[in-house]
Parts: sequence; structure tokens; C-alpha cells
Amino acid sequence: MRNLLNFLTRYNNLIIFLFLEGIAFYLLTTGNNYHNSRLLNSVRGMTRGIEARIYNTTSYLSLHEINENLAAENVALKNSIGKLVRKENSLFSTVNDSVNKQQYLHTSAEVIENSINRQKNFFTINKGESQGIKVDMAVISASGVAGVIVGCSKNYSVAMSLLNLDFKLSARIKSNGYFGSLSWDGRDYRYAILSEIPQHVIVNVGDTIETTGYSAIFPEGVIVGTVRDYEKFGGDFYKISILLMTDFKKLHFVDVTGNMKKTEQLELEKLFK
Amino acid sequence: MINSILRFGLIFILLILLQVLLFNNIQFSGYVNPYVYILFILLLPIEIPAWLLLLLSFATGLIIDFFSGSPGMHTFATVFAGFVRPYILRIISLSDGYESGPDPSMLVYGFRWFLSYTLLIVLVHHTTLFYLEVFRFADFFRTLLRVLLSTLFSITFILLIEFYRRGK
Repeated sequence: MRNLLNFLTRYNNLIIFLFLEGIAFYLLTTGNNYHNSRLLNSVRGMTRGIEARIYNTTSYLSLHEINENLAAENVALKNSIGKLVRKENSLFSTVNDSVNKQQYLHTSAEVIENSINRQKNFFTINKGESQGIKVDMAVISASGVAGVIVGCSKNYSVAMSLLNLDFKLSARIKSNGYFGSLSWDGRDYRYAILSEIPQHVIVNVGDTIETTGYSAIFPEGVIVGTVRDYEKFGGDFYKISILLMTDFKKLHFVDVTGNMKKTEQLELEKLFK
Repeated sequence: MINSILRFGLIFILLILLQVLLFNNIQFSGYVNPYVYILFILLLPIEIPAWLLLLLSFATGLIIDFFSGSPGMHTFATVFAGFVRPYILRIISLSDGYESGPDPSMLVYGFRWFLSYTLLIVLVHHTTLFYLEVFRFADFFRTLLRVLLSTLFSITFILLIEFYRRGK
């Protein structure tokens, strides 16, 4: 007993040190996971007021550019509406089933907090459960893929940015349809890596890369970026460097897209697994 | 006693505000992320009990984690920096030992001593932090580059703050 007490007094600082590092490590391993970001979310709740205030001042500086982008997006949307309307009119059938036709539900949101300089980047948007945002919805910027929602509170949501080592996306080369896995390597916020494309496939610099829609999170055909460079990797595959379309440094207005038929797809797929 | 608690409380709040409101928002590139809040650990009195130093490091890291949305990362690195501080002080001790009383600042011990002291602790802190962030040894040298560049910038800002304090 005496020896034990001696031991404790002699090494008490080491014990405190190990104890505190234990707590830190516990927080680190339980709080940083992909889907286990509840802690992250609740912690963010406390600092959100400050973040919103910082955002208010910084957003002022980029209003001009944002307006231009919104105007351009408006034009593009009007054009696509025009196309749709014409198509409907040319149909012989008069039944217009708008409920079953719509697969994706769009909600626009603003990014109020964002980072690009970490290895695991997240961003916060100003819509939450009350506005119909749910975990696993896709976040798409005006120019391309931005991230996936990982946590929601009542009025805010946290999304995992594409610039996160844990982010994985099924993407394909638009011209020939070969698909692979897209991820970020933690280096530069402008580039990502597309792997698992076999070497017999013809790849050209400048080819468009888009999402496949296999994951039931992202709709099919959302632009990710263009091929910047490629090299042989291992025996069979290419490692393709992708220039991302979305400029994460300027991420501001995003479109949160929910797949309304996701559960149906996943349940059906589960039957065959 | 009360006076120094108030003074360190003020330094603590100022440094955390500086880190959260300014340096966390710099986003210069992935390679340069200055973390100047570690200056608080550097400035604590030399004869502070080790357990108190550890607890204060823990609190500092935890608060920075709260504001950066990165549970545990800064806490771990800062507690580690607080743990090695007494050893580093012993390694770079002056020939005539430390005076009891004054804080380890540039004012008392001079520029060269303060620079080596800051360099060692910031390096320990940043190395722990950045390798913990990546959490793997792939890209070892790239992470090392991030550590070195960020250390450079952190030390620059820390010295600027110290020069400003001396100028007053």
C-alpha cells in the first residue's frame, strides 16, 4: 500500500498526463468519424452564433460576384424549363403525374462556415431539419459536386466537404461511361483523384467527369470536374487527377438535393446482398 | 497572485479570440495553418506546478477544438506540449539557471533564448497536431512540409506579438 502511494506521488504528473491524453484520444476517435459526427454537430451548435456573425461581415465583400453567379444560374434554369415545357407539349399522353416523376427534391441554402485548409473539411449551411434537410442528402454548388450532409440540427446542417479524406464518390468519365471512385488526397483544394479506371480505357485531358448516381445520394450526371492529368498506377489502373469544377474557396450558395426514392432503391438492393 | 491570475486570464481570452476569429479564417493554403494560441502555454510562469500546466493545456486545447469543430485534436497536441515544456526548459536552461518569479518572456531572457524555446515547443505541438489530423503515415513528407511551414508562420506571429508586448 505504501509502495503504491509512493508510486502515485512520484508519477502523479505522468498519470494526469496520460489521463488527459486518454480523454483527448477518446474525443478524437469517437468524434471525427464519418457518420458519427454527433459530437461535432453539438459542439458546432455552441459556436454557431459567432460563425454566423463572422460570415455576415465576410459575405458582404463578395456580393457582386455572387449576384453574377446567381444571374447566370437563373438563365440556365430558365433555359432548361423552356426545354421541359416543349417536351411535355409534344407528348400524346395527357396524364401528367408530377408526383412520381420527380425523384429529387431541391432546397437552396447558403454556406455560413467553410474550410479548405484541413485534411477533413466540413462546412455548415443555414438550413436544417425544419427545412426538410436530412442526413445523406447531396450538396451541389452551381458548378458541381460540393459534399454530403452528415448532421442536422433544427435550422443548420453540417456537410462533409468533398475536400475530406473520408469522402468517397462514384464518378465516371462522361464520354465513355467507365466509372471509378473519386476521393480527395488532401493536397490541393482544386484537385481530386479518380481511381479504379482500367488502363485499356482511353482517357483524354479535358474529359468531363460526372457522378454516376449508383450511391443513391447524388443524382446521375452532376458535373464533378475535368481530367487534368493521368498516370499509370499499379498494374491495371489509372490514377486520374481531376480539376474540380466547384471552387471551394468561394463556396456560397448551394443546392441540397434529396433522393425521394432512395429508401426504395436501398431496400431493393438489400434483398440481393 | 490575484493580479497574475487576472493577467493570464486576459492573455488566455485574447489569444483564443485571435486564433478563432483571425487565424482560423486565414485559409491561405493547406500548407500554412498558424496556431498562435500555443503562446499561452509558452508564457505561463516557469515554476507553475506540472499538474496545473497540464490542466490549463487541456482547457486551452478543448476550447480551440470547440471552435474549430475538431474534437480532441488540439486537446491532445496541447496537453502533449504542456507535458514536454518542463523538459524543454531544462534542456535549454541558461548557465545561471532560471530566476524564480518572472515569466518565460523575451523581456527577461532575451531574444535567442525565447526563439529556441518557442521553436521547440511549437514544433512539438505542430508535429503532434498535423500527424494526428492526417492520422496515417502515407504522405509522410508532405505532412512534414505542412508542419514546418506552419511552424515557421506560427513562430513569426508569436514573435510579432511578443515584440508588440515589449514595445508597450
